[in-house]
Amino acid sequence: MKEAAVEERQPSYLARLRMEYRSSDKAGYIMVLPYVLHFLVFVAYPLVFAFILVFCKWDIVSPMEFVGLRNIQRLMRDTTFWTAVTNTLKFLALHIPLQIVFALLIAVVLNGPIKLRGFFRGAFFLPFVISGAVVTILWQQLYSTDAGVFNLILTKLGASPVPWLTDPSIAIYSIAVMATWKNVGFYIVLFLAGLQNVPRELYEAASIDGANRGEQFWKITMPLLRPVTLLVIMLSTIGGFGLFIEPFVMTGGGPAESTLSVVLYLYKNAFQFLKMGYAATIGFALALMIFLVTLVQRKLLDVEQPY
Amino acid sequence: MRTSIKSRVAAIVAALLMVSLSCGIIEAKTPVTITFWPSSNPQEIEFAKIIVARWNKQNPDIQVKMEPLPASRSTEEVLLAAIAAGTTPDVCANIYPGAISQYIAGKGLYPHDKLPGFYDFVYERSPKEIVDSFTYRDGHIYQIPWKANPVMLAYNVNLLRENGIDPRSLSTYSGFLKAAEKLAKDTDGDGRIDQWLYAPSTDVTWWQRFFDFYTLYIAASGGKTLLDDRGRVAFEDEAAVAVFTFLRTLFDKKLVPKGMLIGDQFLGGKVATTITGPYSIPYYDQNAPEGFKYDFMPVPVPDGHKGPVVTYGDPKNIGIFANSKHPLEAWEFVKFIMSRENDLLWLEITSQPPYRKDIVDDPMFAPYFKKNPMMSKFVVQGAYTRGVDDSKYLIEIFDAISKQYDLCCVNGRKTPKNAVRDGARDARDILAGW
Repeated sequence: MKEAAVEERQPSYLARLRMEYRSSDKAGYIMVLPYVLHFLVFVAYPLVFAFILVFCKWDIVSPMEFVGLRNIQRLMRDTTFWTAVTNTLKFLALHIPLQIVFALLIAVVLNGPIKLRGFFRGAFFLPFVISGAVVTILWQQLYSTDAGVFNLILTKLGASPVPWLTDPSIAIYSIAVMATWKNVGFYIVLFLAGLQNVPRELYEAASIDGANRGEQFWKITMPLLRPVTLLVIMLSTIGGFGLFIEPFVMTGGGPAESTLSVVLYLYKNAFQFLKMGYAATIGFALALMIFLVTLVQRKLLDVEQPY
Repeated sequence: MRTSIKSRVAAIVAALLMVSLSCGIIEAKTPVTITFWPSSNPQEIEFAKIIVARWNKQNPDIQVKMEPLPASRSTEEVLLAAIAAGTTPDVCANIYPGAISQYIAGKGLYPHDKLPGFYDFVYERSPKEIVDSFTYRDGHIYQIPWKANPVMLAYNVNLLRENGIDPRSLSTYSGFLKAAEKLAKDTDGDGRIDQWLYAPSTDVTWWQRFFDFYTLYIAASGGKTLLDDRGRVAFEDEAAVAVFTFLRTLFDKKLVPKGMLIGDQFLGGKVATTITGPYSIPYYDQNAPEGFKYDFMPVPVPDGHKGPVVTYGDPKNIGIFANSKHPLEAWEFVKFIMSRENDLLWLEITSQPPYRKDIVDDPMFAPYFKKNPMMSKFVVQGAYTRGVDDSKYLIEIFDAISKQYDLCCVNGRKTPKNAVRDGARDARDILAGW
């Protein structure tokens, strides 16, 4: 009888849960509130607003006009947009391999017992922290066909000057080289972190077994660096799709639209032509492209660790 | 007894108040405040500071608060954002006529012709054709003509003389090309040409075309702009083909540099001419090396051109915004900015000619022109200028032309005729909207 009375007084599971939340999580809610507010104002609201814009025509000052799927239809047949997509892919095709190869090679060297290691690590990272606009203006001068240092060297060597930024078939690759120089420091740091996590015993064991340096690199270092390599590929892909400041400052998208990137085209539509709806459509198309490409990359590269 | 004292005090206070009000001791009116956005370059800010201080001293009941245009890539972006956000000033002294349609679409500007005595004032100050050219298609005027910067050809007197080139020969395309051939040289023997007559921009940014294609087109066509009176594409003609051919020849024959040159090569003595406005005069005077001598002449035109050379006027006007709570007071301030005395002050500080009639013959301006003879060339040229068309698609049209300029002139991938045809076709598509 007494036991039954006690049981009756026990609160239900749900009520207990509610009480627990009330008492212990109040402080937690207050702590996350600033971020939630930030997320709602600066992420969720713009995202929803941009999605609405996809179906509208809006020039900032006039009232918004609903146009249904016309922005998407236009995007499908907009040759300039597809040129921008092709340019971005061309950029990625050179930028990502260059980034990985140089970052890995330099990281391996900087991971070894070399003189002035700290200085070199800092020196390679320096371009990454310099303002993109400053680096771009500097390289614009280096690349100048008639007055640039690169062509001065080529002319001294007896070669013809190269129209680095003025030839439509070269310009995007010139930008890819510059972007690699600018960003390689960041990926060196990632590879260095990866290299320092490779157990020394594996190299020692391999060395006892008679494996030379090359074999150690291909059989131990590379497989164990696979997660870092995947991260580097994904980050440089996402960063590469966002290509903007370099063509914006260096070439304005020229010559002959050969350096017009998707983001630069988006910017022109939004802030020069004031076609906010169309710019939002380009933005969502870009997000979709990045999602698909990184998904494919993960499928292809994210295999199980061999060790 | 108490009540009667209270009543007496109240009566005395009421009487005092009545007397005070009637004598104007208690001022019911608080001063009206007007916000004024001038351009943010140092000379224009200096001018704005002086005139605002003078105005505020003379008009204690209408106080002006000066705030230079907020930093951005362009004034147009700032003003459009301000219109959208409802944060426009009362007055802005940097209205670009090419963006006026967008400002009007956003109901941003006040119809200035409704202001008392508007036409009397503007017709007295500026040439009638200039004022009328800023009339919007709905019959109203949303901007007050203020100043122009006629674009001309600046040339290095000594460099031309040393190379045996008569500046007058630069007035036609054939003379210009011959001079360009003469001047393109490797002066330091490193195997690369490092001296040119002219260095057109290879940048495809739309507004760069104001200083090559557009100015040359206005000159070659005798004063046509890109669109006709009905807003249709008007540049698919011989003049545009001639300009594209001229510029393409310069690039094809390697008579002009391709790509960016480091530093100011006009002042550096490596490029003998440049297309620019009067605002360059103080810059050249301050930065030119010793012995550097320069002068100005009209931009080149096709051979056989007849009549005066018309050029791009690069006009900037003053506007009162629709959300101003004090448009009448703002109008009084604008008239003050454009007064004869302040136009002279403006000219002295900024070297930009105001849209003022008979300025060269005005005795008040005579000492200025005597001291600055080059400015009178710009004032004379000012009578032969064109602005930009009134279209909300103007930037896109310039962008389309810039693309063709790049393909045809800089990269030689298209004939001038095809480039003009394709540029016109793209412009028609843009105008058709979607």
